[in-house]
Amino acid sequence: MNCKELAYMLADYFDGSMDPRLREELDAHLAMCEPCLVFTKTYQAVSDKIRLLRRHIEYEIPPEVRKRLETFVHAAALKYPEKVREYRDQVERDRREMVADLVRAATAGKLSSATALLMESHCAACPECREYFDALRKTGTPQAGDPPEGIRSHVIGLMQTVPPGEEFFLA
Amino acid sequence: MSAERWKEDEALLESLRKGAPGAVDELLRLYQGKIFNLAMSILKNESDAEEAAQDVFMTVIRKVDTFQGNSAFYSWMYRICVNTCLMRLRGKRRNETVSIEEFMPVFTDEGMHASPMDDWSKQVERDALNEELGRMIRKYTEELSEKYRVVFVLSDVEGLSNEETAKILGLTVPAIKSRLHRARLYLREQLSRYLREGKAG
Repeated sequence: MNCKELAYMLADYFDGSMDPRLREELDAHLAMCEPCLVFTKTYQAVSDKIRLLRRHIEYEIPPEVRKRLETFVHAAALKYPEKVREYRDQVERDRREMVADLVRAATAGKLSSATALLMESHCAACPECREYFDALRKTGTPQAGDPPEGIRSHVIGLMQTVPPGEEFFLA
Repeated sequence: MSAERWKEDEALLESLRKGAPGAVDELLRLYQGKIFNLAMSILKNESDAEEAAQDVFMTVIRKVDTFQGNSAFYSWMYRICVNTCLMRLRGKRRNETVSIEEFMPVFTDEGMHASPMDDWSKQVERDALNEELGRMIRKYTEELSEKYRVVFVLSDVEGLSNEETAKILGLTVPAIKSRLHRARLYLREQLSRYLREGKAG
């Protein structure tokens, strides 16, 4: 084991998931390599400090934000009918827009690789979607309005499986 | 997750579904701070975090009846929070973040440490430094891209297990471990540079 390998195994070393033979090798390396020993000690010190300093690292909610949020949540919980409807309509509109964007991007081949991959594997298993998207790619233009309800719910399901932080579309 | 927390969550879920008096207060008491903290650490902006927190509680209240219970209640809430915040980030120009690569350890071709190493592990044990170090860790964390920041906040700051964090983010456990490790390597390097400049204390 060299220093580079050691540095990349430290997480396993400290969470106890390391193979015992590797651990022995790592300990042997630490016993004879000063830079690695220091590196390991400071790595551990960082992890320890984070736990200990949680209170300083976290963001405290300001009193005025707390108060506003409480008022808001109580109002929301009372299900102010018009507010709730407004909110739901907005969510529905946003969602329709997202689906339309996604269908357009799929037609134009502009999906991000993660989304394209999910789409591909979905279509491989779902003849309905496969047919729909194949037809779209042939004509090259999405129809006006949303895709049919069945397709739409599949696309929404698909969008929900894209991991957070992944983009839907190519830049 | 502790058994008490689980029990608390179960009771809360039950009373929210029934619309029991005090349920909303209990929800706020248990989660307002946590949700705000999580939203802040992703969005890094107080008014954005406030709006996101509103959306999160709205969604929770709206969907509590359809919550399946195949994950823990708090991890469902965290997931809603993470998704809400990332959706908000999507439309925005990202704040400048540093490249984590510049803070990874450097090795020679033979795989040996290429730069000298200072041992400050004893130095940071001094409690007098805690507040300053906490502030620096938060500042350096804010400079990370959210890909690392979210994982770091859930696992290392909130103290969730890698498995729980993986579920919340829809990632694999190895992916969580690797991001977490890189975030720690990054913080180690940032703190090394900070302490080397002798500013601490």
